[in-house]
Amino acid sequence: MVAVTPTVGAKGVKDKGSDVLKLGKPFRFGIIGLVAVFFLVPILASARYSFLGNNNTFTISAYTELFGTNEFWSTLFLSVKIGLGTVFLTLALLIPTVIWVNLRLPHLRRVFEAISLLPLVVPSVVITLGVITSYKHLPNLIIGTPVILALEYVVLALPYSYRTFDSAVQSLDLKTLVEAGQSLGSGWGKLLRFVLLPNLRSGLFGAAVLTFAYCIGEFAVASLLSFTTFPVFLVQVGQTAASQAVALSLIALLFTWIPLAVIVIIFAQRRNRAAAIDAVDPLEAGVQV
Amino acid sequence: MERSGLSVELVGLSRYYKDVAALSSLDLKAEAGELVVLLGPSGCGKTTALRALAGLERLDEGTVSIGGRDVTGLAPSKRNIGMVFQSYSLFPNMTARANVEFGLRVRKMSSAQRAERSSEMLELVGLKAQADRFPHQLSGGQQQRVALARALAIKPEVLLLDEPLSALDAKVRSLLREEIRRIQLELGITTFFVTHDQEEALALADRIAVMNGGRLEQFGSPLEVYSHPATEFVAEFVGSVNRVQGVVGETGKVLVDELGVVEYHTAGNSGYSRGDAVEVLVRPEAIGLAQDPTGGCSIVGQSFLGASVKVKVATTRGSILTCELSPLEASQLDFGGAVSLYMKGPALLLSRRTGISSASAVEAQSAMS
Repeated sequence: MVAVTPTVGAKGVKDKGSDVLKLGKPFRFGIIGLVAVFFLVPILASARYSFLGNNNTFTISAYTELFGTNEFWSTLFLSVKIGLGTVFLTLALLIPTVIWVNLRLPHLRRVFEAISLLPLVVPSVVITLGVITSYKHLPNLIIGTPVILALEYVVLALPYSYRTFDSAVQSLDLKTLVEAGQSLGSGWGKLLRFVLLPNLRSGLFGAAVLTFAYCIGEFAVASLLSFTTFPVFLVQVGQTAASQAVALSLIALLFTWIPLAVIVIIFAQRRNRAAAIDAVDPLEAGVQV
Repeated sequence: MERSGLSVELVGLSRYYKDVAALSSLDLKAEAGELVVLLGPSGCGKTTALRALAGLERLDEGTVSIGGRDVTGLAPSKRNIGMVFQSYSLFPNMTARANVEFGLRVRKMSSAQRAERSSEMLELVGLKAQADRFPHQLSGGQQQRVALARALAIKPEVLLLDEPLSALDAKVRSLLREEIRRIQLELGITTFFVTHDQEEALALADRIAVMNGGRLEQFGSPLEVYSHPATEFVAEFVGSVNRVQGVVGETGKVLVDELGVVEYHTAGNSGYSRGDAVEVLVRPEAIGLAQDPTGGCSIVGQSFLGASVKVKVATTRGSILTCELSPLEASQLDFGGAVSLYMKGPALLLSRRTGISSASAVEAQSAMS
């Protein structure tokens, strides 16, 4: 093992750094506390309200009634189905496109990135009408079925999915890996299966989870196209039963938070792994020539 | 170990990027089992030539043949060529062994055959003990060795190495360079090695192809390229040279003010006649130094390089020449005193000088006679 000896003057630097940390700590905790209060108070108040019965008694009837309705499960199932379909279509579009752009058209990367951001600046109503108009000649299998909603969501979730996957592709030395694979006799199928997709797993997962979370929570387009998805059901319930609507919105929050938590955990693992790689002691790793 | 070398022939290779020629009518033939180094500065076309041979670069003109078979139109995956890249190209999700086995897996070899071959290859590069490590757990030198094992595992007809040592430190470079040569000789595989490092080229090559501006300047053995450079570019790129002015005298001799009468090879320097004003290119090691109170030259700088000492000498003409001496020769010199210069060998090359008055040429001629 190599012992690290502090150099002269290092102490002074360290002391200065810790002074700054000491000063900044209460401030940081203060800010975090304020943000936590800002977000948590409405959620806790909603949660409390959803468990309140007549005469302020505790009850879970809002939840049991919801779980007992067929509509809850059918809309949830529809949203999940559309979410999974959207994820499938998104990945089928993104994987070849992003890899091809980074490999063969790197000078157009910014253009593609800008196109992927368009759904953020074009109102979703306009995109919805645009997609419907574009696909109006397609067979009935698509028009009038949840497939059209999935196609809408592929476009609308692009700002999140494209950038996530694109940054994962950029973190690889794609050109060298592809050329190395080709020189070893591999075609594109095996390259994707054994080399590229395993190395892009976190990017794929991030794009998939963000897309799925978007689909589960989207209301405007589903409502416009007259599909009763989970968020549309939530709004409908809110018009007749307030406590059930609050319970539903908490459930919907969970559906968004769980995927986000998954992303955070995966990225934290990736960061830790990268840090571990950087910290590999060459002597312990047996690194020689 | 089987010898798997085949001859490789590049005929009229050209590659243009808009109006710039990255390769211009390159002709090159490597014999079976030969190690050819493509040497040149950045942008000279050496990597483009190598990539064209691998099928990774589209050609505008020319053909590539391996073992007499035209492979110009073949995809990279169909050429059976092993390649080691400049940047670390191991697949990060696979262990060293899985990396070596990748090409075999693509070829649908059984797992037992794959394991046997990968063990054999990892042993060849001295990394059997590290077989289960991932690329991030290996040093740069180890990663390049695994890349070499991976390229060799598929029993390629030709091995291509694109500056594989450039990211490594000097000591590792030197060790790995020797190892690459040992393995190449052991397998007898025809190998192309791209580098911009002249020392690496001289140490490794059977023949060196010196390239400049997309063209081949010279193709010959290391000794030929170093001792008899075909062009001024080769003389200056492979090794270092002094440029001094002189006038051609009788056949094979040229008069240089600072060095007296200097011999030159007439074979590579034809077309000069008596009285022609020329620039003479002389290697530093061809110039000797002698302690001489009447010499008129003085030492103005020196640098110790280990095996040799580089000495800068100010001449009576005001020019500065570089001489390379052995440490023993250098130790016998009084660096504060006057010295004289003499030639230990012939000049490397002559280059025609223009704008010299005939009066000074005649003056020089009479001085020689």
